[in-house]
Amino acid sequence: MQNFDLLMHGFSIAISVPHIALMIGGVLLGILVGVLPGLGAPNGVSLLLPITFGMQPVSAIILLSSIYWGALFGGSVTSILFNIPGEPSSVATTFDGYPMARSGRATQALATAFGSAAFGAMVGVVLITCLASWIAGVALEFGPAEYFAVYFLAFSSFIGVGGSPPMKTVVSLTIGFAIAAIGMDTVSGQVRLTMGIDELVKGVNFVVAVMGLFGIGELLIAVEEEMHARAVSSRIDWGEVFRTIVGLPRHGWVLLRSAAIGCWMGITPGGPTAASFMSYGIAKRVSRRRDKFGTGEPEGIVAPETADHAAGTSALLPMLSLGIPGSATAAVMMGGLMIWGLNPGPALFTEQPDFVWGLIASMYLGNIVAVILVLLTVPIFAALMRLPFFIIAPLIFIVCVVGAYSVSNSYLDVVLMMGFGVLGYLFKKLDYPLAPLVLAIVIGDKAEDAFRQSMLMSQGSLGIFFGNALVTTLVAMGFALLVVPPLLRLIGVWRRPVRPA
Amino acid sequence: MFSRRALEALTAAITGAFGIAILVQSLDNGIGWSSAGVESGTFPFMTGLIVVAGSLYNLARGWLRGREIVVTAVEFRRTVALFLPAVVYVALIPLLGMYVTSGLYLLATLRLQNGMSLLRSVLVAVVVSVGLYLVFEWSFQVALPHGLLGAWLER
Repeated sequence: MQNFDLLMHGFSIAISVPHIALMIGGVLLGILVGVLPGLGAPNGVSLLLPITFGMQPVSAIILLSSIYWGALFGGSVTSILFNIPGEPSSVATTFDGYPMARSGRATQALATAFGSAAFGAMVGVVLITCLASWIAGVALEFGPAEYFAVYFLAFSSFIGVGGSPPMKTVVSLTIGFAIAAIGMDTVSGQVRLTMGIDELVKGVNFVVAVMGLFGIGELLIAVEEEMHARAVSSRIDWGEVFRTIVGLPRHGWVLLRSAAIGCWMGITPGGPTAASFMSYGIAKRVSRRRDKFGTGEPEGIVAPETADHAAGTSALLPMLSLGIPGSATAAVMMGGLMIWGLNPGPALFTEQPDFVWGLIASMYLGNIVAVILVLLTVPIFAALMRLPFFIIAPLIFIVCVVGAYSVSNSYLDVVLMMGFGVLGYLFKKLDYPLAPLVLAIVIGDKAEDAFRQSMLMSQGSLGIFFGNALVTTLVAMGFALLVVPPLLRLIGVWRRPVRPA
Repeated sequence: MFSRRALEALTAAITGAFGIAILVQSLDNGIGWSSAGVESGTFPFMTGLIVVAGSLYNLARGWLRGREIVVTAVEFRRTVALFLPAVVYVALIPLLGMYVTSGLYLLATLRLQNGMSLLRSVLVAVVVSVGLYLVFEWSFQVALPHGLLGAWLER
């Protein structure tokens, strides 16, 4: 029950007037970036990163994680009311959310989505509360070889079960590694991969990549598809909200299964998007009312929303306990941790207990704050969506340019961001996954250091990765994730999560 | 306008070129084993190899797969109409600074490109530029670029 005491201590840190205010501000900003196409949780978090430099780390992480919760909820609002997913992970919510809203049950659709989302998030947080410090305890015993094996496992699961074409995932991931290597090498002090551009000695900041890949790239996709906001009424009937939320336990089995899928996909870096699609696909396959899916079936909202939020939340578990982020947004937050001078990983639990438990406690509160705020503000944000796209698009462009510049006051970063924008557009268009690229930029150096330290210890022999039972198991699991899914696909057992054409 | 084949080939060419650049550059740092351990070019060299190999695979696969059109002429025009002004915007920043350029960019896209009324587009442009100035220069004390114009004004 030591965890429980620590959690209570965390609450005593999280519940203070400034922290609650940060939560409210963060959630509102998060809903905003979640609602706007082109801006998402990774952008929202990176944009605010520079202003957190002067804050206490625990306040900063509360602000950033609240943006994350807000964005997860905001993405569902537009999916349901406008049939436009504000976030990639809420695409699956449009399948049944929008038809339900269009048939005059907008309140029921929103309340179902938020209720199941909150349930998913809570399961994720409880999982973190119970498991994080235990995993961190195990990981404290890790040496460089074990670390490299864990990184390897994380990357393999991206490639094996991430849902994108495996070779495209490999390319995306390794490009991220190469970008991480640009600049000063921390081990030898040598300058690497600058392509003759002196300013690149400082390296390429992940925020620049996020702004380009997720911001500009998504904007270009959005304008190409010429989105029309055909909104349905966004008036909220509070009696209906209450009745819907009270009625949610009827879908108990779907809720539990979707939460489990979400947690699994969040911890292994499958990410919220894959989780929501997979959960929707399974719900549709096993439901007795499967022919009703796509026409406004409540379970078609419950399944993706629960999994989306469970995955979004549990993506923070490996970030906290191992230093390996489970999603692009978690990767950005981890970048923030390193900038604040914290060392993400198992030592965090012993060295910074206030930070860790303050954050975990704030996750409980932040999600409750997010549900309340998102219900209260639905009409406001729905009105915002009625602004024509030709006004929103240049504004988002300006936000991304300013955001990229202000990371390190460098014009080169703005130019790089535009390049990342084109790359992001092409990658999205052709099903290359973006999250592995960002992930690799953030943890590439750590993975490389782990590899080089292991090599130093073994005097250059790869045998160190099979030196003891633990490391051998990790490496073997990594290889299994690489090899088994293609084999299963070959014999036709495994099918990829359903994706819309 | 563009087939999937063309886009796949373009993307694979970009990633492949990047991969080759990594290979060439990392040779300068030395690959392999020295007395100080793994040399600093080794890890990038390995990633470069994988990027090149993966790009070749994606090129071949993308070339074989579907000739269907994934970007129509209309869609392409819309994308260019958004991206081209943005490129000009970024290119003008060193000259005119962030605030003036942002205002002009908004004015141009709203008024010239999308026919918003002059009054409203000027209003949006001014509010955004001044807003940026107040938020960054004034409350966060972060200086966004003032450009050559700014340098000339501050003489």
